[in-house]
Amino acid sequence: MTELPKEQKEFWRWQEYHRVRNDRNWKNKDVITAGVDVGSVGSKAAIMIDGEMYAWAVTRTGSNSPDSAKKVMGMVLEDTDLKQSDIQYTVGTGYGRVNVPMANKAITEIACHAKGANYIWGPSVRTILDVGGQDIKAIHCDETGRVTAFLMNDKCAAGTGRGMEVFADLLQIPIEDIGKVSLSVDEDPPPVSCTCVAFAKTEAIGLLRKGWTKEKVLAAYTRAMAIRMANLVNRVGLEKDFVITGGQSKNIGIVSRIETILGVKTLPSPNWREGGLDPMIAGAAGAALLGKALYLKSKGS
Amino acid sequence: MKNVSAEKKYMPEMPQKEIEELNSSVKATSAKIIADNIARMKKTDPNRPEGMKYFDEISNFFGQRPKEIQDAKIKGKKVIGYFCVFAPVELILAADAIPVRVNSGWYDTSKLGDRIVPVEVCPVIRSTIGAKMIGLSPYLELSDAVISTLTCDGMTKLSEILSDSKTIWTMTPPRVKDSPQSLQLWKEEIKTVKTQLEKITGNKITAKKLKEAIETMQKASKAFRRLQELRKGNTVLMGRDAMLVNQAALWDDIKRWTEKTEALCDELEMRIKDKAWACPPDTPRVIVTGTPMFWPDNWKLPTLIEEATPQGVLVGDEMCSSDRILYDPVGIDEWTMDDMINGIAERYLMASTCPCFTSKDGNEDRVNWLINKVKENKAQGVIYYVVRGCILYAMEYTRVKKALDKLGIPVYYLDTDYTREDVGQMKTRVEAFLEMLTARVDI
Repeated sequence: MTELPKEQKEFWRWQEYHRVRNDRNWKNKDVITAGVDVGSVGSKAAIMIDGEMYAWAVTRTGSNSPDSAKKVMGMVLEDTDLKQSDIQYTVGTGYGRVNVPMANKAITEIACHAKGANYIWGPSVRTILDVGGQDIKAIHCDETGRVTAFLMNDKCAAGTGRGMEVFADLLQIPIEDIGKVSLSVDEDPPPVSCTCVAFAKTEAIGLLRKGWTKEKVLAAYTRAMAIRMANLVNRVGLEKDFVITGGQSKNIGIVSRIETILGVKTLPSPNWREGGLDPMIAGAAGAALLGKALYLKSKGS
Repeated sequence: MKNVSAEKKYMPEMPQKEIEELNSSVKATSAKIIADNIARMKKTDPNRPEGMKYFDEISNFFGQRPKEIQDAKIKGKKVIGYFCVFAPVELILAADAIPVRVNSGWYDTSKLGDRIVPVEVCPVIRSTIGAKMIGLSPYLELSDAVISTLTCDGMTKLSEILSDSKTIWTMTPPRVKDSPQSLQLWKEEIKTVKTQLEKITGNKITAKKLKEAIETMQKASKAFRRLQELRKGNTVLMGRDAMLVNQAALWDDIKRWTEKTEALCDELEMRIKDKAWACPPDTPRVIVTGTPMFWPDNWKLPTLIEEATPQGVLVGDEMCSSDRILYDPVGIDEWTMDDMINGIAERYLMASTCPCFTSKDGNEDRVNWLINKVKENKAQGVIYYVVRGCILYAMEYTRVKKALDKLGIPVYYLDTDYTREDVGQMKTRVEAFLEMLTARVDI
């Protein structure tokens, strides 16, 4: 494919990929479960064997949930020696959870993210900030990954992954660099005053016209988003250990600013580029884990 | 028709054609919503009690009940609308008039209300204004006068706006209950309404008539309490059904409502005997408190709770649009006029748990009412429901949460608006809360 001319380049586009862990022995495949997390922007799938992560996939959600679920399920099965029929129990989660055709059960992404965070980072996790495509959730959980309290932002894309995509496009900065670029300013400018994506965009255009560099504008927007997210975490009650899940956990500009505002470090995320678990798949991982419990329960053990 | 030249302070002059078009389209949507709500309630409980049939019919805002009221009006009866449950229904009955609550639950009319007041205003108010603009609410239209209790800022200005086209009788509740002046002031307000009722109906409210009316309402209250009592154990009546029965008391003929409610209770008692539960006994039990919710459009939250995965059941509420409506009867020592007026004043003031009140103990009446409900109805969690712009309920949340935290009862603050757009988001919130309550998945 030839490269698009610059002005048509899709700066918002993030990496869609799938991964299989063949680094260990999967001979005893007792319980094979899957979690399918159809979010408003990204669809994620995870396959677990006896409660251990075996394969996962991340892709963009299309115009309808069932197709997105099928697509991401196809991706996650690729390069594995598994077929759809080998999966004993599937849990659907995310915004499109009721429209996951292969799911045995639907569970909210709130319960799944808590469970998944518990799996990825361990039982010390108490507070989770999940920054999704169109909403943000602050979750408090116990040592087993069970939700004890949660808060969700209202029906607005402010402070979400989708908002970041809009800004990546506006400022013509690839989404995967956006965190780094936002940190390239010497000092954070005052945050943009509007967190609403539509208004913030207008405000940003105004700032660019005023002569602000795009790095500075991005820093101002990222800071505003981080403040909004930190507020939600504070409202649910911040208790250590604290982690961030969802696509924005990869945005170092967001993560470091939230850490500064809250005065707390997040537990470091595994390096997903080098085979580590991707914090974006926490929901799918939790769904697969809950699927295992539900499967065993249905078998009466 | 009112003289057009009468100056309107708020209401816009709308072309008759636009009014008619809006009226018929919103009415059609609303009729569909009424039918859909009932169909969904039946689906949730396929073995729904026979006794609910009556309440389904009487809840059709464009059906039998408005027609009955219209016929009574033709025969000379007066109709007295009211907004808050502060209105002394006994006096209305004693004046041989028909009481009917006229708050609006229509989502679509709240958007019309936006033409007159900003969107920051509580949608219950905006919706009521919008309903008046297009003459949608049969009960508001049929009212000869409307009692408006100035419980909050929204209600205060709403009264002013509606007075463009309606006779409004305001009642000012004191903001503090436990002071001698408060009861005195409220008693005067009650007496004023009595005089206004006598004047508009031409009927004198005699001691004999008032006694009869109080006794009628005491019987209604008894049936009401009996129904709430039956919700304390395993569920035989889904929460939405109970809420509809409760709310029907606001527009139905109260004697008939009492009869039908007693009959429903008889049926429910049989079901308890037969252990014919409306949902599995381990279904998480939820109580809702906060902004009143009105039939038919604003059935969003109870529907989400009872249709959720995992399913929940609304076992009670602390709302002036449901479990609080007829809970408290008027208490009378001696059947003299003065004692009866006193009894009425006390019942409508002291028993109210409206957040419009404040006191040194921080509106403890409301907190206690809620806590008792949680304990008696064995609720596992509370959803604190607030529509945007409902300042009093929103502000009292922190205080209520602290009290519930102490008891270890999880509470979830759910804010919304008169809109259908946020149903997906609300569903996730409600389901996550129910999952939390069930803790049904263990690893």
